[in-house]
Amino acid sequence: MLKRLFAVLTALMLLISLAGNACAEGGTVAGKEPNEAGSETGISQGASEYADLKSRLTGSLADYSRKRIGIPTGTSFDQIVAKALPDAELSYYNNLSDLLAALSAGRIDAFPSDEPVIRYIMGENASVSYIPEYLDSFEFAYGFAKTEHGRALCSEFSEFIDKLTADGSLDKLSDKWFAPDESGKTLPDLEALPAVKGTLVMATNPDYVPFEYVRDGKIVGYDVDIAAQFCQAYGYGLRIESMSFDAVLFAVQSGKCDFAGAGMAITPERMESVLFSKPNYYGGTVLVVPKGSAALTASNTADAAENEEAYSFWGNIRDSFSKTFIREDRWKLFVSGVLVTLQITLLSVLFGTLLGFTVFMLCRNGNIPANLITRFCIWLVQGMPVVVLLMILFYVVFNAVSISGIAVAVIGFTLTFGAAVFSLLKMGVGAVDNGQYEAAYALGYSNRRTFFRIILPQALPHVLPAYRGEIVSLIKATAVVGYIAVQDLTKIGDIIRSRTYEAFFPLISITIIYFLLEELIGFFVGRIGVSFNPRHRKPADILKGVKTDD
Amino acid sequence: MIKIEHLRKEYPNVTPLEDVNVEIHDGDVISVIGPSGTGKSTLLRCINLLEKPTAGKIWIGEQEITDPKCDINKVRQKMGMVFQSFNLFGHKTVIENIMLAPMDLLGRSKQEAYDTGMRLLRTVGLSEKALNYPDELSGGQKQRIAIARTLAMDPDVILLDEPTSALDPTMVGEVQAVIRDLSKTGKTMMIVTHEMNFAKAICNRVFFMDEGGIYEDGSPEQIFEHPQREKTRRFVYRLKAIEFDIKGRSCDFPGMIGEIMAYCIRNQIERKLAGHIQLTFEEVTQLLLAALDDPRIHAVCEYSENTGIAEWTFLYNGPQFNVMASDNDLALSVLKGVTDHAAYTWLEGNEYSNQLKLINRSA
Repeated sequence: MLKRLFAVLTALMLLISLAGNACAEGGTVAGKEPNEAGSETGISQGASEYADLKSRLTGSLADYSRKRIGIPTGTSFDQIVAKALPDAELSYYNNLSDLLAALSAGRIDAFPSDEPVIRYIMGENASVSYIPEYLDSFEFAYGFAKTEHGRALCSEFSEFIDKLTADGSLDKLSDKWFAPDESGKTLPDLEALPAVKGTLVMATNPDYVPFEYVRDGKIVGYDVDIAAQFCQAYGYGLRIESMSFDAVLFAVQSGKCDFAGAGMAITPERMESVLFSKPNYYGGTVLVVPKGSAALTASNTADAAENEEAYSFWGNIRDSFSKTFIREDRWKLFVSGVLVTLQITLLSVLFGTLLGFTVFMLCRNGNIPANLITRFCIWLVQGMPVVVLLMILFYVVFNAVSISGIAVAVIGFTLTFGAAVFSLLKMGVGAVDNGQYEAAYALGYSNRRTFFRIILPQALPHVLPAYRGEIVSLIKATAVVGYIAVQDLTKIGDIIRSRTYEAFFPLISITIIYFLLEELIGFFVGRIGVSFNPRHRKPADILKGVKTDD
Repeated sequence: MIKIEHLRKEYPNVTPLEDVNVEIHDGDVISVIGPSGTGKSTLLRCINLLEKPTAGKIWIGEQEITDPKCDINKVRQKMGMVFQSFNLFGHKTVIENIMLAPMDLLGRSKQEAYDTGMRLLRTVGLSEKALNYPDELSGGQKQRIAIARTLAMDPDVILLDEPTSALDPTMVGEVQAVIRDLSKTGKTMMIVTHEMNFAKAICNRVFFMDEGGIYEDGSPEQIFEHPQREKTRRFVYRLKAIEFDIKGRSCDFPGMIGEIMAYCIRNQIERKLAGHIQLTFEEVTQLLLAALDDPRIHAVCEYSENTGIAEWTFLYNGPQFNVMASDNDLALSVLKGVTDHAAYTWLEGNEYSNQLKLINRSA
């Protein structure tokens, strides 16, 4: 009986796997179909320079009408795709690097992107191509808050962009930034800007090459260049705050930043919440698909030889390593990310421990108001996702105050860690037998001394392993600070992935670094634990300074 | 001297101490005995304010410790306490347990505290365990260390709350030996204990606690040999009692028989004796109900665990009348079969003027 059941199961599994293969093949066939009918291509800029690229473009939008399309969150691409391909199945990804990784893993069939961006990516990453039809055309502009200050700035910007358009410098700028050659892409020195009318803060998400990206540890790009020239011309200084794309408009609306320069398309929805300057870029949205065309391989015989070496495993690793760490001294970015992560973690641990301990001492003797307030705050802090807490602190609570993202992160994590420390202490102290209090009181110890001399030393060894666990959780939890314009280790990883278009190597590197940090901090806390545990004292230390001649 | 006036301690569901008034003299060694739940430990813990009295006043010497202005911590330094559950400080070695309070509270130097500690450890016979942690010791050793820790503060009064109750029977002796030595040093001591022979041996005064206070207060000889009051006697002789009050003929007779049976089972009275106890009650009560005009009977049976003997006492009203001399031969022969001693007394002038005592004994 069992045997038969097993046979049926095996047969079923075979069928399923066959069907899967058939589907996959069907997909490839469709992808291979070279369709040059898409002649209404909207490629408008620097067409001659990209002639060879253009020859690599394949397929037509119609092929993708029922496919799985990946969408970067916080963008307006989903509306565009829904309009052009209403039957497509949408899924959401955090950023371009994730989309590329999903595409190469086959989790999605295509994703929309702005044409200049994808052209740049094709220069870096030879495994993608795009369909030469615009899904939609768009205009990029700078965004401003709907305040008096924002309005004034917006009209100055518009005036400046009009001037650039009129004298042809906007075209020159786009030629410069959309060319594959990095060496020509220079920026004015931001430090040397006049700043006579104050310094403007630009909110951006620097993983959108070539509009804004990190090169040699600095944020550069088309939007940055125009903003810098504007500041030069109008007598401002310029500072750039990097954050997640979702957070950019929020930062502007809340007044944290003066304007948004993040390759942001003008949409009616966005116009409800912010003002837009005159567009500084006109472009179109295209669908990025995996490179699968036979024609393409033929046209790229030169690449093939180069690729051969890259296909060897070690060659790949070496290449990825150099891209991730060596090129443009990117390891420096990692170091700065680690330092930020460590700084937030260590300060939060320090202040959180102090906070948790202080609150515990206030609540210890059953003071009813103190306990009620504490319980409410802990309920509030622990019930909220940390990222929401951080964003509320950054954009709502400390909105009016000029305070750095790191400081807000430290405040937020101090609250959550303080709540954890409070609970741990409550647990540890609660675990100490009531008889210990009675024995101390009966000897004549005061309440306070009983706590510090008798109770706490016995509670701490119970609590320390969990405390160590809380710190490790905290290190991991700090990975969300990218939302409030802090470039920690994770955010650095995003930034680097946005340049290398590789998911594997930077992610694994970051994972390893997190593990190392956790081990390191865990080791030190463990050491503290040993010195706190009275059982680990040496007999000689216990009776130090006593003559024991008997 | 410790003086307690109108001490009352209430808990939400129970009031173990209703009204305690007593004076304890310097050098008294007092055993506090009594059935469980009668407030022995509560009394001890009120004296050093580990329990806050609901009402009443307590003086230690000249100091009224129930006065809110009193610094109880100072008072406690001169009043040691030994607990049933030892309560040694788990994070400290044995010698540190003893040194800690003198150094922290009396400002002793480490050397002084160590010397005193080692001297005390030698007196309790545990100087070799100085550097062990409490959980490496047996119960008896822990309790001896706890006594040494208390003595390190050189207290005037020592309160011992059932110091041997948590111990294995094999370890009771070593702790009792230490307490016995201690009782000879002239310190005021109060010890709550269930070990009556031990209490007899060390104390000069006994408090028997019951009915929400000190029920009987006397010398060990009085309490243990000649207890004056009923409950003391029952407790000291380990008597288990059951009582009935019968007023008029319309009493719940089957209910009372049921209570007697339950009482016998509860006290593990042998079956045959249980039958005798029940028969005695039935026959005597029936005879009395038949003979008396307006029957009022108070019947008590006391069973001694020590001797295995049950004694019935019947008190009843009416003219002089000895049940054993009645003319109901059948009932009398039954009674004579189940009892082996009968004593009748005429108590002139009492409400219950007749008293009859009958003994049931198992064969």
